[in-house]
Amino acid sequence: MIARSQRERLLDAAIDVVAEKGYAKTTIADLTREAGISRTTFYEMYPDKEACFLAAYDAAADVLARRVAAAFEAEGEWPARTRAGLEALLGSLAAEPAVARLALVDFGAAGPSAQRRYRAALQRMTPLFDEGRDFAPEGRRLPPNTSRMAIGAVVGLIADEIEAGRTEKLPDRLPDVLLAALSPYLGPEAATSEVEKR
Amino acid sequence: MSPRSSVNGKASSSDRTKELDELIEQEQLPAGRADLAEPPVAHSQRERLLVAVAQTTAEKGYNATTIGDVCTAAGVSRATFYELFKDKEDCFHAAMELSLADAMGSIVAVYSPDKPWATMVRDAAAAFLELLAARPTFARMAMIEAPASGERAFQLYASGKRVLQSLLERGREDPVEEEAIPTSAARAALAAAESLIVGQILTGNTARLPELLPDVVYITTLPYLGQEEALRQAREAEREHPAADR
Repeated sequence: MIARSQRERLLDAAIDVVAEKGYAKTTIADLTREAGISRTTFYEMYPDKEACFLAAYDAAADVLARRVAAAFEAEGEWPARTRAGLEALLGSLAAEPAVARLALVDFGAAGPSAQRRYRAALQRMTPLFDEGRDFAPEGRRLPPNTSRMAIGAVVGLIADEIEAGRTEKLPDRLPDVLLAALSPYLGPEAATSEVEKR
Repeated sequence: MSPRSSVNGKASSSDRTKELDELIEQEQLPAGRADLAEPPVAHSQRERLLVAVAQTTAEKGYNATTIGDVCTAAGVSRATFYELFKDKEDCFHAAMELSLADAMGSIVAVYSPDKPWATMVRDAAAAFLELLAARPTFARMAMIEAPASGERAFQLYASGKRVLQSLLERGREDPVEEEAIPTSAARAALAAAESLIVGQILTGNTARLPELLPDVVYITTLPYLGQEEALRQAREAEREHPAADR
């Protein structure tokens, strides 16, 4: 039990310290100090800074992905459920700017492994988007990578806001983000009317 | 519904080409060049270092790359390195400038004022994907390592994106319902294409990037031309560039 809470404290610390100092400048000493654990305990859990950062990354991505999936399970047709999922995503990111920055902007600095984790985390949203293909009248004619591109558009718009320092205002961007998610499947006109419903 | 058959002729031919040059200059990007082979014929120690920094960062990642690695790969002494560059970031930045010049060059080469906008998008997307596929080392450096390598290279990357965004925004000139297109449309379309390309590079499939042409053409024309026409443009791109079939 104690080991678990130390691990949790360490992962929280990793997110906060990296968000504040950047990955390159973060040291293991920063992490142990922030988490209130010893160096020995650190090395019992992780071999190095990168492993710790990646574990923190996975934990943060996991929480986000589960929140989005739970919201997506709401009632209604695919566009309404996508709206609910994206609302949950924007709300969660706005409530935790440090996690938002780490998850969508700073991961790149930690090198290729972090980049692969990032892609894997994004892929977890694919089934939610793929449903758009079944829902869309033109679903069968859409290009093969439509879901990957729709996810890329959503994440790109969110990352722009975070980099511009507007993380707290992310929920206000729902119309643009929802349009970017729906358009690839429904076309801009039908997607716009879905965005305006409510 | 009808496909765009011509660009609104508000500007003369030379004006429109000049516009693109001005756009590149305004973003303080190096002027386009398209003569860098891979592996480039290294005319100078400087060029050898630029190729070497691209190669080593592509293999090891930017943070893990040392100046020693770059010098070894280039066969150039440390002393020479420091005569030419201030530090690793400076060298990387110069290599980034070179690859951006290439990328802009590939787009300038297909940019013509006489082409309809959609044709220009098809041609530019094809040229860009082929360029990346032909230079996997530079592709990886420019698309993947740039965000990890400090503020300057990241800013260069962002400038390149803004030029593409402005070109895409010209799809607005004659849309069916201009006011219906939100300002975020071009950013969303570019982010979609970028994410697809980066994913393909990260999975080691850089050589097969040209296969993504129909996807890229669809997503970039969609906000301006509507779904039916964007699907038609994607098929047209596939027909024009049969490499995309394989």
